[in-house]
Amino acid sequence: MVSKKHISITVNGEVKETEVEPRMLLAHFLREVAGLTGTHIGCDTTNCGACTVIMDGKAVKSCTILAVQANGKKILTIEGLSKGREKLHPVQQSFVDKHGLQCGYCTSGMILTSYWLLKNRKNVTEEEIRAAISGNLCRCTGYDNIVESIKDASKKMEEEGDPIEEHPEIKVRA
Amino acid sequence: MELSEKLVRGEGRFVDDIQMPGMLYLGFARSQYARAKILKITGAQLTHREVNFEVVEVGEGATEGGPAALSHPVLAGEYVGYVGQPIAAVYSDDRYVAEDLIDSVEVEYEPLKAIVDPEESLKREGMYPGIKSNAIVDRYFGKDFNPDPSDIVVERRLINRRVATNPIEPRGIVAAYDGHKLTVWVSTQSAHSIKEGLSEALKMEPDRIRVVQVDTGGAFGLKGGLFPEYVVACYLAMKEKRPVKWIETRREHLLASRPGRGVVANLRLYAKKDGTITGLKGDVIVDNGAFTGGSGEFSPMFIARQLAGAYKLPNAYVRAVSALTNKAPQGPYRGAGRPEAMYFIERLMDGLADKLKMDPVELRLINAAKETYTSPLGMQVEKSREFLESAIKELNYEKYKGRENVGFAFLILYHATAGGESARIKVEEGRLKVWTGGNAHGQRHDIFIKTLLKEELGVPEDLVDAMKGDTDQLADGVGAWGSRSSMVLSSAVIVAARKIKEQVEKKHGKYTLKALLEGNWDEYEFFKYDKTESSLGANLVTADIDSYGRVMVKECLSYYDAGRVLDPDNARGQNAGGAVQGIGQTLSEELSFDEDGLPLITSISDAGVLSADLVPKFGIKFYKSESPLPSKAKGLGEAPTIGVPIALSRAIELATGKLILETPIRPEYILPEERA
Repeated sequence: MVSKKHISITVNGEVKETEVEPRMLLAHFLREVAGLTGTHIGCDTTNCGACTVIMDGKAVKSCTILAVQANGKKILTIEGLSKGREKLHPVQQSFVDKHGLQCGYCTSGMILTSYWLLKNRKNVTEEEIRAAISGNLCRCTGYDNIVESIKDASKKMEEEGDPIEEHPEIKVRA
Repeated sequence: MELSEKLVRGEGRFVDDIQMPGMLYLGFARSQYARAKILKITGAQLTHREVNFEVVEVGEGATEGGPAALSHPVLAGEYVGYVGQPIAAVYSDDRYVAEDLIDSVEVEYEPLKAIVDPEESLKREGMYPGIKSNAIVDRYFGKDFNPDPSDIVVERRLINRRVATNPIEPRGIVAAYDGHKLTVWVSTQSAHSIKEGLSEALKMEPDRIRVVQVDTGGAFGLKGGLFPEYVVACYLAMKEKRPVKWIETRREHLLASRPGRGVVANLRLYAKKDGTITGLKGDVIVDNGAFTGGSGEFSPMFIARQLAGAYKLPNAYVRAVSALTNKAPQGPYRGAGRPEAMYFIERLMDGLADKLKMDPVELRLINAAKETYTSPLGMQVEKSREFLESAIKELNYEKYKGRENVGFAFLILYHATAGGESARIKVEEGRLKVWTGGNAHGQRHDIFIKTLLKEELGVPEDLVDAMKGDTDQLADGVGAWGSRSSMVLSSAVIVAARKIKEQVEKKHGKYTLKALLEGNWDEYEFFKYDKTESSLGANLVTADIDSYGRVMVKECLSYYDAGRVLDPDNARGQNAGGAVQGIGQTLSEELSFDEDGLPLITSISDAGVLSADLVPKFGIKFYKSESPLPSKAKGLGEAPTIGVPIALSRAIELATGKLILETPIRPEYILPEERA
């Protein structure tokens, strides 16, 4: 067996330091080492987007990134969006309000991709939304209610701001 | 916390989220050949020598007493029948090491010539020693008839190729054993089916098995049944007295789960010159796969019996066959026989309209059933003309009529209401807990359960907990499939609520919410229902095709009879989700194989699942009606997977001028000639 590597990854503002096998996937690190099971694995091949997290400002698919590649980086997972707050993040709230989820399995990745989009674009059009989430597959909703959720979230973020901005430790460049 | 809120926080509890001390990860070495004799296995921790069980059929479309010799072995015995079939199991307390161990299993094979095509299978030698015919079902429906020689005939060979169910969460199970009782946590549509299946496969008394449903990330028919991997996980948990987890990879899903469709039909539709249909003849052949235990024993019959569509069909004679092939067993996929049957009759109707130079919707109107009757193929066809007239108006068909990119589908959806469903309501500490026999996997039963309890008992929604399936909490149950839950599951909840109301009245003289919430009540109801209900639907689709042969669906509209719509948001979500699957089946989703039975699709990116940028915004309108059930609802979950492929195929047929006979429509077939 290859020797373990020491890594330090900041996840939702908390530094996680540990020894891992070089082959450990970031998705497994998040789920099984950091205990954050909101990041889901759907396809193992970077296609379905259920494992999407924000890593140093980019929405990435954690099922094909090695934990050692995330060494020294800052990661935001679905749990970080409303961490320590009773109130949901505006993007999460919009998915609840507009019925943007059914089984809930693709939801974490879908919400984080949406968050990344809304941090980078104001007044998003339907076409931009559909293009932005084209790397996130949903088999239940047919996407209509997800698109409506993201439109609603765009409005909510304009009005309420992004609560994560107030938490510099969680905040990632997005 | 409410379910949606839990899920958007990432606090759902799916099967792979479960961690237990001492847990073992299970992996499977799988067949690399479609058909072979196994000569030797080395490096395995478990083989059929130890785990010599078979998987029995449970769940949607389960049939009693199939040919026992063809039951799916849990781990392969002397022969393997498809690429991906589990041969040996390995395990470790580290999931990465378990993956490594899979590679250390070596199997010596004697490859045999694979049987890939279901029609060819009927002419080939028996797949296994002692099997004379590869037709595991061969039955006739209806009565032979002599067509009028002056009748018009439309003859078609129509194919719906195999499609993977592809829920975004793959299959998975955790099993634990305490020396007496086996407990499993599973991603499922039916905890009770899993329990029944495990009890039979492991030959264990049912009361020693508890099945708990965890959050289930989509299923679409797949997760109603029992799988070989689940039996091995339970066996190992009992053998090692340690918890065991098995989580399917996507590749395993595409190779070795239970794909749907996979049906060929050779049919002739007869009609008078005025368009009145007079009869239907031909055969329906299901690509069963290598073993029973899927739905191949049920689906050819179910398809054949529905072939009258929503029309008045005076004569019919149809042969229904299921043929062994060297592929994973066919299973139910959203619609499970309904989309196939309607596709066949509706494509014939479009063909007939073209032959008669009639408007296809006009032809459908002529043939719509004026009265409810039982078709010669055995299904009750409800009177449908009135609905169709309404659909033409509501979908604004007159506006589209004559356009060269519009398709129209008229469908009947048979709900799997027969068998009924169970519910239990328990009131304690001022809250209501509700268990139901059908286990939601993306239909959000929790929403309508709360609506109904508010109506029946006046209970505020935030005091109701819709529980996951648990066989220790609910005596019996059926499952969530076949567009049945809004009908029978909801009705079981209503009847159980009414029973509780009666109890409160008996004790307190009258019913009050206060008396309910201050007391302890517990009512179980198995809502019995024997009849198969049905409802009608229509779809209108327009599509454009670019110079590269790419199809862009412009409009996709549904008009369904959903009875009382229990939750309009949910109904819209079900419609859109089903419509995307319908478009996927028509344009891109296919599990294809080469001539040796080797699967060509091994990752989700090749499987044709559509993303948001490739589909339109969907529209749905509802026909006003009520079902005879207490909930007054009618199911709609499968309607779009039935109607959309029909209407889209027609739209493409008109836009390209090429006869559409198969789904998916392969791009090379419709590529404009200058590019082909």
